[in-house]
Amino acid sequence: MDTAAKQIGATLRRRLEAYENKPIVYEYGTVLSAGDGVVRIAGLAHSRYGELIAFENDVFGMTLDLELGGVGAVLLNSVDDVRAGERVCGTGRVVEVPVGEELLGRVVDPIGTPIDGKPLAASRMRPVESPAPRIIDRHGVNEPLMTGLLAVDSIIPIGRGQRELIIGDRQTGKSTIAIDTIINQRGKGVLCVYAAIGQKVSTLAQIYETLSAAGAMEYTVIVAATAGDCAALQYLAPYAGCAVAEQFMYDGRDALIVYDDLSKHAVAYRAMSLLLHRPPGREAYPGDVFYLHSRLLERAGHLRAELGGGSLTALPIVETMAGDISAYIPTNVISITDGQIYLEPELFHAGVRPAVNVGLSVSRVGSAAQKKAMRKVAKSLRLTLAQFRELQVFAQFGSDIDAVTRGILDNGERLSETLKQNQHEPLRMSEQVLLLFAVMNGSLKDVPCENVRAFNAGLLHYAGTRFAKLLDAIEETGDLDDAQTAGLRECIEGYRLTRSGD
Amino acid sequence: MTDQNMHGTIIRITGPVLDVRFETGSEPALKTLLVTEGEPVVHIEVAQHHAPGVIRAIALEPTEGLCCGARVRNTGGGIRVPVGEKVLGRVIDCLGRPIDGLGGIDAPLRDIHQPPPSFMMQRPSTTLFETGIKVIDLLAPYPVGGKIGLFGGAGVGKTVVILELIHNIAKHRGGYSVFAGVGERSREGTDLINEMRESGVIARTSLAFGQMNEPPGSRMRVALAGLTMAEYMRDEMRQDVLLFIDNIFRFVQAGNEVSALLGRMPSAVGYQPTLANELGEMQERIASTPRGSITSVQAVYVPADDLTDPAPAAIFSHLDATTVLSRAIAEIGIYPAVDPLASTSRILEPSIVGERHYQVARRVQETLQRYHELQDIIAILGMDELSEEDRATIYRARKIQNFLSQPMHVAEVFNGEPGRLVPLADTVASFEEIVDGKADDIPESMFLLTGDLDEVRAKYRESGEAQKNG
Repeated sequence: MDTAAKQIGATLRRRLEAYENKPIVYEYGTVLSAGDGVVRIAGLAHSRYGELIAFENDVFGMTLDLELGGVGAVLLNSVDDVRAGERVCGTGRVVEVPVGEELLGRVVDPIGTPIDGKPLAASRMRPVESPAPRIIDRHGVNEPLMTGLLAVDSIIPIGRGQRELIIGDRQTGKSTIAIDTIINQRGKGVLCVYAAIGQKVSTLAQIYETLSAAGAMEYTVIVAATAGDCAALQYLAPYAGCAVAEQFMYDGRDALIVYDDLSKHAVAYRAMSLLLHRPPGREAYPGDVFYLHSRLLERAGHLRAELGGGSLTALPIVETMAGDISAYIPTNVISITDGQIYLEPELFHAGVRPAVNVGLSVSRVGSAAQKKAMRKVAKSLRLTLAQFRELQVFAQFGSDIDAVTRGILDNGERLSETLKQNQHEPLRMSEQVLLLFAVMNGSLKDVPCENVRAFNAGLLHYAGTRFAKLLDAIEETGDLDDAQTAGLRECIEGYRLTRSGD
Repeated sequence: MTDQNMHGTIIRITGPVLDVRFETGSEPALKTLLVTEGEPVVHIEVAQHHAPGVIRAIALEPTEGLCCGARVRNTGGGIRVPVGEKVLGRVIDCLGRPIDGLGGIDAPLRDIHQPPPSFMMQRPSTTLFETGIKVIDLLAPYPVGGKIGLFGGAGVGKTVVILELIHNIAKHRGGYSVFAGVGERSREGTDLINEMRESGVIARTSLAFGQMNEPPGSRMRVALAGLTMAEYMRDEMRQDVLLFIDNIFRFVQAGNEVSALLGRMPSAVGYQPTLANELGEMQERIASTPRGSITSVQAVYVPADDLTDPAPAAIFSHLDATTVLSRAIAEIGIYPAVDPLASTSRILEPSIVGERHYQVARRVQETLQRYHELQDIIAILGMDELSEEDRATIYRARKIQNFLSQPMHVAEVFNGEPGRLVPLADTVASFEEIVDGKADDIPESMFLLTGDLDEVRAKYRESGEAQKNG
């Protein structure tokens, strides 16, 4: 009791000593009109562009049109609670979010209010909008970001600091690829941010569950504006998420951000723009819809060592309609990103999961970042698959197939089978190398197609128990020397012997 | 002018467009550069005189954090960028500030707004410019001192072709080049600068960047900054200059972003009503005069793969040669993905390229066109229903189609295949042999990703020997 009183006394004294009698000037304005989330305000003559303004009842807004006599703003929450004549107060700050490691494991909205029912104590704030790293502040992409997905890591490799678009129709597994990638960052020192834009709350809850169950929330922040939130808040969500992730990058860490998804973001921005009477262009999107996404995605990158060498990898997601990747928003985002992973409903329904269309998917920088071991086994993969697909179509018309063609077809089928992977089951780099090494060297020739996946699962188990040291060595050096190649051969042969004994 | 007259006050901010009040009678002239005093420092350019004492201006830097009532100073002139030899090897932004971290640039300054050369000063282009890329040299040759457009949707390889041209032309030819990066990826800027430093091309090149992360004002003006540097080399240094612009569509797009905020009514597909003028003012400055020439290669992004979009349509009319890249061709694995029937050139005439080149080019186009027409018939009736002659045409067309592909130097890191530079004479000779039917015995897959016909023959012989041995 006594010590507690002393502590209180000490705290009070400290606070009093630090107290400065400085008046805090707040500027007030009055709401003239409100509706559809857009308000016009008289007063607030000195508010700044993009400033956060506070209404009564904890309602917040952001200024967008400044004039001497008044201000135009959009509301960020509780759109229906603002009435004409109400008092508005400027905060003197542009819209900011809390950033830093305190956010890990948390779910917040785009203005930093926690929505997972726990208080948030973050010491640092960062404006949601900030300029991208300059051209000379950047470094080439040279470290891989492993997704744990064999089809992606081998053929469409992603590097740290790259922007890789995930594009496809609805229900083709776009989010799954992103979530799997987050899960695979466990223990790799990459901090993740998942920015949910316009999603159902139930979907979000499910994603939170999945990430928690996989132990991925420890290094992940979710920034969410759900379908029920107003357009302005959805518009802010990716920028807020980026601010959180960006702070990690400037702190010298490696960060990954997923924007799920930017087509809903464009729609939210279109709604906001039309309500602000800005004229519509193609597909009724405003003229600056490209800049909307370009300034966001340009904030990703890999910094030079002098600046801490941090990186921010971005995985934006865009939903297409009926597989049309040449629509307006998809082509806009393709022209910003460093490549795309294209998912196809036909493949998805045919059981190819992840449903990656290898022909239309590219990665413009990732191959430079691939580990040597992976590059060695995956070198001719794209060509092999392209050849296989072409012959597959051709072979449908004819029955007389020569031995060479038969060989390519058989090999291709087994390779396609090998590339299939269940969700939330990421593979280590060394495991991927092992599987590719086996199939590319024809070790699966005598395995019937339907047994390929069982064979591979068995092989991984066998290697994990008997050859764990070899896998760890490959993981560590990232290379495949002659001894290790021989080791892989031995491992595969050993496993084949155990199977033939069955 | 008194100090008072040189200062104004911001009275309205809507995104990148601001209104500033000056004393009536001392409004700064159109295209004058203004700068805010205090934080944040934002440069703005006068676009309109809106009312007595009120000017409307476009910000060249982000306006977040700016407030009404902030003071603005008239710099007394337009945007000026450094020009001349001191800028070679340097990288600047749209305001002429160095962004390569190599310190200040001590060079003469020049206003980025200049009148185009007059009618009397024009020098029409009539010489072929060899690029070493087969499909371009044969079917859509580039004129020296001409304006060349590279059209393509997202991700079909515009930037790769531009880089290849820089590699082939800038590297193997002396003379100066200017590169203007307009609204493209910052990462590409980093890569390009590194590439140029490694190859040494940078010592003869000036670069200006206003990439896609920058506000529209910056992206609108950086094209002019690059152009101004090229003009100085042409006019004062009397050089034949190469000007690369990646990407000119972004210049139009940036104008579109501010148009509505400037109070203009939208035109077709929401574009600015001034689209044709804005573009014309800029494109007319890229001209050749008796003093020197500017050969410009401009990448043109085609939004939503739609070539009838008002922006690419307006750009088309300014060009002497167009190279159209197509997604359909990229999908079948032919790179560069040039559409041989949609690409055109004003100088593909017997009087300029010579009778032989002209005839070979026309025959190649005819063969491809015939194949194109026959494709529908094949889809319905099958190959067997065709005449002997048509079948021969198809086989030849498929070989030509494959032979139009070419390994590129800048793509070597992706596919491990070293690039090829094919001299024009070899290109014409090779295609002549194919259309004459002298290569009918070689299977079509041999033609893919090769240099000249001799290489195809060598590859064929090798594979024949390999089969014999195997």
